[in-house]
Amino acid sequence: SSVKLLLVSLLSSEARNFGSMLVALGYIYPLQDHKRLVIKPDASLYRFQTPYFWPTQQWPVEDTDYAIYLAKRNIRKKGILELHEQEHYNRLHKWMNHKWDFIVMQAKEQYRAAKERKKPDRVVFECQERAYWVVHRPPPGTVSAMDYGLDRRIDPNTVEVTGESLCDLFKYNSCQSCLPSNPWLTDDATYWTLNMPNVEIPTKMRVERWTFSFGELLSDPRGRNDFRLFLKKEFSGENLAFWESCEDLKWGTAATMREKAEQIYKTFLARGAPRWINIDGKTMEVTVKGLKHPHRYVLDAAQTHIYMLMKKDSYGRYMKSPVFKETTKKAICPEEHKFSDNQLEQNARNRRPSLSPIILRQMEEEQKAKMAANVDITQLCRFTTPVPHLAVYSGISDFPSATASPSLPFLAHTPACPSPISVALDSTSASERRVEASEGEGEGNPAARGPVGGNVSRSRMALSLRRLLKRGCTPSTMFASLSPKCHSAAGTSSRIQPISPNQPSQAPPRRIANFFQIKVDIPPECRIYPIESEDEEEENRAASRGGVGAKEIICPWESLTPQNGTG
Amino acid sequence: IPGPLCYSLLLLVVACYRHLASCVGGCTDSLQLRDELRQTREKAQKLAMAICQHLTLHLRDKSLPEEQRKEMELLWVAFSSSLELLHLDMCKVFNMSDIFSLANTDALVQTGLQGSEVAARALSLPDLNQTQSPTLPAGLESQERSTLEQEIGQIDHMIDDMEMKVNVLRWMVEPHGPQYADPLSSTDSASLAVFSVDEEQPGHQPLCQRNKFCAVLFLFAVVLVAGFISVSMVLFSGVCF
Repeated sequence: SSVKLLLVSLLSSEARNFGSMLVALGYIYPLQDHKRLVIKPDASLYRFQTPYFWPTQQWPVEDTDYAIYLAKRNIRKKGILELHEQEHYNRLHKWMNHKWDFIVMQAKEQYRAAKERKKPDRVVFECQERAYWVVHRPPPGTVSAMDYGLDRRIDPNTVEVTGESLCDLFKYNSCQSCLPSNPWLTDDATYWTLNMPNVEIPTKMRVERWTFSFGELLSDPRGRNDFRLFLKKEFSGENLAFWESCEDLKWGTAATMREKAEQIYKTFLARGAPRWINIDGKTMEVTVKGLKHPHRYVLDAAQTHIYMLMKKDSYGRYMKSPVFKETTKKAICPEEHKFSDNQLEQNARNRRPSLSPIILRQMEEEQKAKMAANVDITQLCRFTTPVPHLAVYSGISDFPSATASPSLPFLAHTPACPSPISVALDSTSASERRVEASEGEGEGNPAARGPVGGNVSRSRMALSLRRLLKRGCTPSTMFASLSPKCHSAAGTSSRIQPISPNQPSQAPPRRIANFFQIKVDIPPECRIYPIESEDEEEENRAASRGGVGAKEIICPWESLTPQNGTG
Repeated sequence: IPGPLCYSLLLLVVACYRHLASCVGGCTDSLQLRDELRQTREKAQKLAMAICQHLTLHLRDKSLPEEQRKEMELLWVAFSSSLELLHLDMCKVFNMSDIFSLANTDALVQTGLQGSEVAARALSLPDLNQTQSPTLPAGLESQERSTLEQEIGQIDHMIDDMEMKVNVLRWMVEPHGPQYADPLSSTDSASLAVFSVDEEQPGHQPLCQRNKFCAVLFLFAVVLVAGFISVSMVLFSGVCF
């Protein structure tokens, strides 16, 4: 008979190795399950490959031949091409387009020539050709013996690792304790699904990793989410947000850098910023100075400071927090898979390509945008308002209100220094303004990229809506969600007062290009809490107040421009 | 003049050659196979030579109209690809016949083939002024080898020559045909333009036209026979029942 049966004894591992090598390189091929080039210790049949298709002489494996082969397969049965073959075919059609007539016609001729043969011979030839292409154009996810040619080592445990296939490294070195099972070995992708970046319920091993160090927690997206949740409950989410925006700046495109730096400054660093972060004076000075000429690493000092702050302070508390305890409790520990050989074959057959990285990136972006929209801030600190007897200005001389009463440092929208954190100038109450700022902030988070104009109109609309709702809404309900832990430890310091009605529509004063320093007397142990106790009184006084003066946050790097009253 | 039909003949021959080549070293390897290989490649070479001359001549002609030039270039690219394929196969056969000598039939690999007449299709084509030679005697295997070596060199030379003499920008060529091979399309060479017959070389023209004529005749004969059989069957069945 023309079919030779190749039996491999289980006990003889040497024979098995040799057999595996033969089949992986294409000297023999399996008759069933042709896609997996392995020797199975059962009664499955193998056949010798014809010398024309041997890899010995290392003849070049031409793409032209592959294209002809795929075209032939398609003639035999339309639509039979697998996904990766289809992709190859399309790619070749693009790159070898000039030869395509030849390829199609040659495929037809080869098909017809094959028909001349007797049926059994035709089948044998088809099997031979198919086996050849499984060796030289392996399906994705397969370990190919052709990766390093005939010099490839089978045993990855040998000392030299230079010639190793990456897949082998994965198989034998890492993922030893993969639960439920190592996908490289069993073709079952559950392990990857359970450990996706933003999975709802993490695995126990993953959660345990977070306890190793703060860096581990931050680098795992799921861990970071958890941490963010915890910080949100503690109302110190701005630290993490700042850290993340610094990362964004560092890793972002050069074109967006200036804009991002501006954004970060306005959101986190500036006097009276909605999400002001608590860094020491020296670092602030260095940072603000550097922001004059922003570059990728300009916020490094501040970022490190915040990182250390989180590590020493928040991380410890996070470990003891109910959020973390909850997560740990919910974490799953999957059972180990025990696949039979048939099931392994089934898995191999059902292999599918994973999501395209383009789609994954889109999903990430959507996630980021969603998170940006849900930012919860009302963290204006009373300590950031310019206290006349403490604050040190330089260069800003034209504020008529400066002597009268401390003006509320608000971020106004100007053409010169546009900010999505824009507030309409005709607000009527401090609390409204603050809420307004937070709403604007929600859109103006460094991660968001909405057009400035749109944000202005949106904030204006929101403002009018607020005014409508104001009648039925008491400040206590508005701020009910705020942390009750606010202690007015230094209650004697200035309170935020609405701008006096003297300058409703005054043109914004001329600014001088300087960066200003602010020395505010903040007790080191003070945490930034939203101001609750004073709100109600201000709310009551709201109706009598007039418009807001155009006080703007001046970016240190902006040059002076004469303003015309539009805010 | 070699028209598109001649080119598709070349493709046919090249495809047959490949099928034959895949049997070398296997259990169906034999003197006959080697002989068929030889004949097939000789046929291929003759066709190739003719097409090459024709194409080179026309493409070097500066006064060729633009559209015809485009078609010629298309054919050029297709032709050079088939030539490369043939060259590759010939090299493989040369290599393998070194390893698998017919003197030692035990060393032949049991590939599971039974042997069939692949070459019949290629060899049944009308010869280009050449008589069929008898089966090669066993002792002339080495001669065969050197002949093959020579012929490989010739093809190589032809390919080089083509590149030297005519400058065709391959990436500018746009194919006419579909992306997927359609087995049902009867017009093989529909994607290659039909050339106008050159009056200068009448010798080749009747060859291809004769081919068409033979095919039509054959078809007619088949239809006649089929009709006859069906009629007789009807009559017989009429007689039986």
